[in-house]
Amino acid sequence: MARKADYKRFEALGVQNLGISANVTFSQQTFAESLKLPFPLLSDFPDRKVMRSYGVLNEKTMAAIRSFFLIDPQGIIRKKWIIKNDETTVVYSDTLLSGIQEAIGKR
Amino acid sequence: MSGVLVAALVGAAGADQAALASLLKTLDLRSYTSRTAPPQFSGSTFHARQLAMTEHRGTVIVLNFWASWCLECRAEMRVLERLQREFSSRGLAIIGVNARESKEAVGRYSKELGLTYTLMLDPDGKINALYGVIVLPTTFVVARDGRAVAFAIGPRQWESAPARALIEALLAEPTPGSAAQ
Repeated sequence: MARKADYKRFEALGVQNLGISANVTFSQQTFAESLKLPFPLLSDFPDRKVMRSYGVLNEKTMAAIRSFFLIDPQGIIRKKWIIKNDETTVVYSDTLLSGIQEAIGKR
Repeated sequence: MSGVLVAALVGAAGADQAALASLLKTLDLRSYTSRTAPPQFSGSTFHARQLAMTEHRGTVIVLNFWASWCLECRAEMRVLERLQREFSSRGLAIIGVNARESKEAVGRYSKELGLTYTLMLDPDGKINALYGVIVLPTTFVVARDGRAVAFAIGPRQWESAPARALIEALLAEPTPGSAAQ
């Protein structure tokens, strides 16, 4: 929700938000419509290849560990946030935005 | 009025897609663009019967996600009960999927509203998650051939003329496996 509210702040830095989960596209469509998300949701179901390749697949739940990756236009990961206590930790947009600014040198 | 509209909607191959799209727009339903199949589920009904969605293949399904604390669900479910009574003999199946409440809570609510249509229990929220439901009510419409037709986030006027026309049009589609009408 925070990402939706702050979407324009990410856009202003030239960042395209993409959400990805192990849910089927059918459920993602309902979810995205319910929240009126301004950015796309991608499905990594059923193979979870993306989650595995980024090292954030929880093998027990077969869902993603909540995480954020900043990828530059060359496809290089410039920064990542992997949330360990993902049930209780709130990741504020400000945390991500300041990290992005730091990584790309924008103010 | 609705009879005239329905007559225009129904052709040899079933509902006219442009007219169907127009009805969906009027009802503010989000249509599925391709031949999307809804996720199949099975589970326990309030009456302790195991039910698989595949059992309803060949019927028009209105799949309504609800909870007893959801005020907007209440009026809508009374309407769905009336539609069930009116159209079930022609192939309409209303299925209510509860959101994470106990069997007792579902029983009290069902009795209070006099509901006779199928109520699925979903104490762990697995069916809700499978459909991506995070807002109540959320409703999905499925055609006789099993394709997902449309969905609505929030309540809709299911007894309105356009809604009835939609139901009639979908009921008029051929049942898979049967000879063309």
